[in-house]
Amino acid sequence: MGLEAYVVVATVLFGLGVACLITRRNVIYVLMGIEMILNSANINFVAFNRFNGDGMDGRMFAIFVIILAAAEAAVALGIVLNVFQLFGTVKPSDVDLLRE
Amino acid sequence: MEAYWEGMKAIAPELVLTAFALLALVQDLVTKGRNSRNVGYLTLVGLGVTALTLLGQESRAEAAFGMVEVDAFGRFIKMFTLASLAVVCFFVMSDRRERKHGIGEYYFLLLGAAVGIFFMVSTNNLLLLVLGLELLSLASYALAGFHKGSKASAEAALKYVIFGGLSAGVMIFGISLLYGLTGTIDISEMARLSGDGTPTGLAHQLGQSPIPVAVAVTMVLAGFAYKVSAVPFHFWTPDVYQGAPTPVTTFLAVASKAAGFGALLRFLGVLFVRGDAQQLVADYGTQVGLLIAVLAAVTMTVGNVSAIGQNSLKRLLAFSSVAHAGYLLMGLATMDEAGFTAAMYYMAAYYFMNLGAFGVVLYFEGVTGNDDIESLRGLGRKAPLISIAMVAFLVSLTGLPPTIGYYGKFLLFTACIDGGLTWLAVVAGLNSAISLFYYFRIAKNLFLKEAPEGPAPAAQPMLTGLMTAFGVATVIFGIYVAPISDWVRSSLDLLG
Repeated sequence: MGLEAYVVVATVLFGLGVACLITRRNVIYVLMGIEMILNSANINFVAFNRFNGDGMDGRMFAIFVIILAAAEAAVALGIVLNVFQLFGTVKPSDVDLLRE
Repeated sequence: MEAYWEGMKAIAPELVLTAFALLALVQDLVTKGRNSRNVGYLTLVGLGVTALTLLGQESRAEAAFGMVEVDAFGRFIKMFTLASLAVVCFFVMSDRRERKHGIGEYYFLLLGAAVGIFFMVSTNNLLLLVLGLELLSLASYALAGFHKGSKASAEAALKYVIFGGLSAGVMIFGISLLYGLTGTIDISEMARLSGDGTPTGLAHQLGQSPIPVAVAVTMVLAGFAYKVSAVPFHFWTPDVYQGAPTPVTTFLAVASKAAGFGALLRFLGVLFVRGDAQQLVADYGTQVGLLIAVLAAVTMTVGNVSAIGQNSLKRLLAFSSVAHAGYLLMGLATMDEAGFTAAMYYMAAYYFMNLGAFGVVLYFEGVTGNDDIESLRGLGRKAPLISIAMVAFLVSLTGLPPTIGYYGKFLLFTACIDGGLTWLAVVAGLNSAISLFYYFRIAKNLFLKEAPEGPAPAAQPMLTGLMTAFGVATVIFGIYVAPISDWVRSSLDLLG
């Protein structure tokens, strides 16, 4: 399989992530969308490293992005938990006290 | 072993900050929340020691396998961060509503965010840039939601984390494309000419087709645009600024935004402007500059127009900070040394006037219990010193003489006109006129309206004193511009 196949998969995954973020009304799905975007970047990094990079830069980047995604999910879920306790819902559209 | 110690020396300020962050956490645990002020003092000491370490560093070095750049530019943003954090710490200590919660974590997160800023502004390596940026972001999310029982705070954190996650994802995807196009994650390598003079990296790609490069660069810019709250990634700004605790809002508006600009300046400067950039890359940089110019125009217009109808002071300042992101972007759009210097000077001006404005908001919140503009009525007579200081900040934010904001705008406008972006200077001039409306409304409520009956506000001598000093500085540095402009000029060394 060539590089193109990997890049196509990554781009499709990126598009799906953005679509998930925009259309879903539940915060958990939104967080999943973010996760998909980050993982699409990971596919790119590893594929580019394998096909036309020398050294380990791309692979290192992918590993750090995995760590990043985990840290971000932990903070985000903590915030969502707090929102759920206060508002009784996890839909961003129902959490809108702050506006003029 | 030698290289290891060299690396340690290069990141000594970051290490000191980290150590003090942990110390703050431990001190609060050990004293079990009593004497929460002492944690604040410890944090201030930590900031001071970090500043000394920073000043004691070599003037220019590259360490940790080329990942960390020690230079005057990084030092400028780092000193800026330390100075704003010191004021934020002071705000936390003088905010009466902050004392109940685990104050150790508060300072820990603030210092942790500062460590993130330190790394993101002192590296040419995109991996370290992303890690620093995310360290800053993660700490900011938690800080925005720090008042756990407050619905506004929780909502602010939720919106912040969703927007932040999206833009970080887009930025990392953009970086993965840049890596694929150039085979390196170091921006100075991307723009450099190879040994035998053949085009490499970015120039090679641009020679074949500029479209993939355009997609990648735009995506990376999206991440920066979110951090500096530029249109179209500004939607989180008003809600987060309004809902977050006021000291955190101050941190986000001043330190976090300056960090975003610092990293963006380095990114653009090293990739497109620097001396060893290849011709194709430099030409392409001019086009990126045009994109930024359009962003700047839209950002300042959206910010100023949205600010007009606001009743919440914090929300108004949020839109004002969006507008100022637009002004700062003007300096980057010219893609030359004059523009970058002007942007850095405006950052310094922004430090005085915005920290001052938020300090006054904090003071009035303590007096009236809310941040409505209407409830400021007549306070000018009850608290004259701080109100006069506020007027100085507002005049400076509008960009009228004799204030620091005026000279900052003057530099930006001249840089734009010299750089061939006269239309942008015109748009910015019109925007300054618009902004006069809503800034003047605050001053009008303070001085020209009758106060409702009520006791005089409780004196807060420390906060009043500091804000008065900031007000004086806003005017003094507007007249004697040399100290700051000299410092800024000598700090811009990343283009050489």
